[in-house]
Amino acid sequence: MGQYGILLDINLTTKEIKKTPVSKSDLKNFLGGRGLGMKILWDRIKKPGLNPMSPENPLCFMPGPFSGLPIPSSSRTTVVTKSPRTSPENKKYEHSSTVSYANMGGFFGPEVKFAGYDGIVVLGKASSPVYILIEDDKVEIKSALSYWGMGTDSFDKALIEKYGKEYQSCYIGQGGENLVPYASILNTAARAAGRGGVGAVMGSKNLKAIVVKGTKQPQLAKHKMYLELLEKARTAFREDIEGVEYWRSGGTAHALQNSSNNGTMAVRNYREGTFKEVEMINTKSARTQIWKRDFACFSCQLACKKSGFAKGAYGGVVHDGPEYETGTMLGANLLISDLAGLNKMIAICDDYGIDIITTGGVLGFLMEAREKGMIDLTFLDGIDLTWGNVDASIEMIHKIARRQGIGKIASLGVKALAQKIGKGSEEFAIHVKGHELAAWNVNVNAERMMITYATANRGACHLNSSSFSRQNNSAIQDSLGACSFAGGWYKNDISYRKFIEAITGEEHTDEEFNQIGERVFNLEKMFNYREGFTRADDKLPERFFKDAHTYGKGKDVLASHADFDKWIEKYYTERGWDLQTSMPKSEKLAQLGLEFTL
Amino acid sequence: MTHKETSRRDFLKKLAIGGGGVVILGKYHFLFGNEPTNGLLKAIVVDFDKCTGCRTCETVCSAFHHPVQIDGEQLNGLGNPKLGNIQVYHFNPDVDIPSVCANCPDTPCVNACPVTADPKAIRKSIYRDQLTQAIRTNHDVCISCGSCADACNTERTGVIKMNPKTNHPEHICDQCGGDPQCVKYCPFGALSFKDVDIKGAYFGLSPQEIAEKLFERYYEAEEVING
Repeated sequence: MGQYGILLDINLTTKEIKKTPVSKSDLKNFLGGRGLGMKILWDRIKKPGLNPMSPENPLCFMPGPFSGLPIPSSSRTTVVTKSPRTSPENKKYEHSSTVSYANMGGFFGPEVKFAGYDGIVVLGKASSPVYILIEDDKVEIKSALSYWGMGTDSFDKALIEKYGKEYQSCYIGQGGENLVPYASILNTAARAAGRGGVGAVMGSKNLKAIVVKGTKQPQLAKHKMYLELLEKARTAFREDIEGVEYWRSGGTAHALQNSSNNGTMAVRNYREGTFKEVEMINTKSARTQIWKRDFACFSCQLACKKSGFAKGAYGGVVHDGPEYETGTMLGANLLISDLAGLNKMIAICDDYGIDIITTGGVLGFLMEAREKGMIDLTFLDGIDLTWGNVDASIEMIHKIARRQGIGKIASLGVKALAQKIGKGSEEFAIHVKGHELAAWNVNVNAERMMITYATANRGACHLNSSSFSRQNNSAIQDSLGACSFAGGWYKNDISYRKFIEAITGEEHTDEEFNQIGERVFNLEKMFNYREGFTRADDKLPERFFKDAHTYGKGKDVLASHADFDKWIEKYYTERGWDLQTSMPKSEKLAQLGLEFTL
Repeated sequence: MTHKETSRRDFLKKLAIGGGGVVILGKYHFLFGNEPTNGLLKAIVVDFDKCTGCRTCETVCSAFHHPVQIDGEQLNGLGNPKLGNIQVYHFNPDVDIPSVCANCPDTPCVNACPVTADPKAIRKSIYRDQLTQAIRTNHDVCISCGSCADACNTERTGVIKMNPKTNHPEHICDQCGGDPQCVKYCPFGALSFKDVDIKGAYFGLSPQEIAEKLFERYYEAEEVING
């Protein structure tokens, strides 16, 4: 109950479209979203080493059991696939890579549920560009030739024009079409499943978009209980005026000022933790210079998305931003404090559909390598990439998204760039497992941030958190279709567990429920382990052991390798993982019902 | 007793206070619903500055108007937003337009209905409800000609649509019998239940027309992405 038990399975090579049943135990044990997506990935990828850009890589669009119900802040869709971004230190297979999961807000996931599916799995590769059109049970693969080459903004407009309000969509821009490995997938031209290269996998299938309209909703197990919980949840948000206002007034962008004050911001390619010019890009400046309106995802009371435009040389672009991660990675990390320029860079990246966090990491790395004389203007195709230079940054973004000249190698990320440049540049190539770090600096709160980044199953990820229990909880959230920003409201008598009982009828104990998150996390871990990722890959760049910040709260603060070894062993022990290999122990796997991974 | 019945009863009670109900009903003997009004008509009015496009209004409207029977009890449905009488239109650049029946005093929809009024009920297939003063439909006599939807679409908001399966008009706001759910649940205070003001800046306009006004208001610059 509460779920359909149906996946929409589409093979773009054979053009076969079918409904595949999902077993009751999978729905119970993995819920939906990130969890069920991971289970599908495990079931479909039978052997390690699959090329993520090959037709055989499943691309799963996963709403969760909350999706399609107006539970506050339940708009998220997780895209799950094998990552084209990550690689281990010692490649066991040519294409060893981790799992990738990226989630986006907006309206897409709920609509997939309305159409009658717990998820969409795309396999194969179309012979020419296509999009998938879903109207409840009617599913068509249609030519996208006339849309290929369009940026996400103009494509979004074209879809609104053609299909109108009843349809929701997600799509790639030229970044995904050009197979930029860190291409993203967008919904409403701004809300991105940004990380881990999910847009590149979509592009590799010649799939421009999925457009969906649905009229259904699944029957719930305990309808009345659900309505009572819903009323309570709505009230909890409504009554917490201050808590809600925090999100409405600035969203994650509030963290720009706070993080800089705390020395936890990525500044100058993570060399520093405080941005001296942060006032120029904080919420106060954005509210007066850029933001005009606040926007919410489906059934959300927080409205953390801000849209507007700037005036002047970089003006005229109506877009959302900056948020914390976009503002930090294209702002502070590059020493860019021109708010209009920053907003324009965000808009351009979203229009191409490339991950802003990674793009900012790549630009920061190149700026530092240039400053240190490791690369010259010729290497950069004549682009004068210096700290704070908006125009040069924009030129480089164009090169990356089009994969032209320097863009070819820059589109592979900082790990590949450091390998090409050498000269010790890998010390400031800020990535874990090939995936760039995400705007939160490490030195202050070193234990928390090092464990967060080192142990994330998709490679460096700021949403992973450091503790065993919070990681598990985050995996549950991503599996429900719930938004992490609203997680704090779901406690006590309106817990996620109770909502699941009302929706599906499954009465988990707290312990059983928390174990779902642990199960998801460990299945991801086993997938990575099978690909050849071990303890040696759970590591941070040398910068974080060598370069203390020169000012701010992180001044003279540095963790040692011995500290890190101690922390990671503590973490592995808590997880029930082997200290040498990092593999989950067989009794842990048995406890979680994951014996099938052995 | 269901929530729906309670609110309708409350509404009737309010009408009847001090004998006012009789006066109102006596004074406004709406024959075909196209008489002018002196401000006693009410409608859902949107403050576009506050709307964030969350679509809560669609879901609560849908849940209220499409109840389900569970163990012999009538409860709100799950609220598929498409079944809401209020509908939120999203545009790019970001503007969200909740579109809802304006309760036009001159009722182009009722005027266009070719069904001969039932002399007893004094009403056509689409009519102004004498108690609530909202526009209602009687599908029993509807001939599915679509004239009401056409009139609404060409002259006003375009909120009335013909249901492709039943071929009857839908999305007409009945104001939930006097306690509109969308107003009650809008998390942003963007909706209110107010006297109809035909001089209001957005009265009776289609979502597209309102969006164009708002584009100019919020984003006066021309868009030049990647320019």
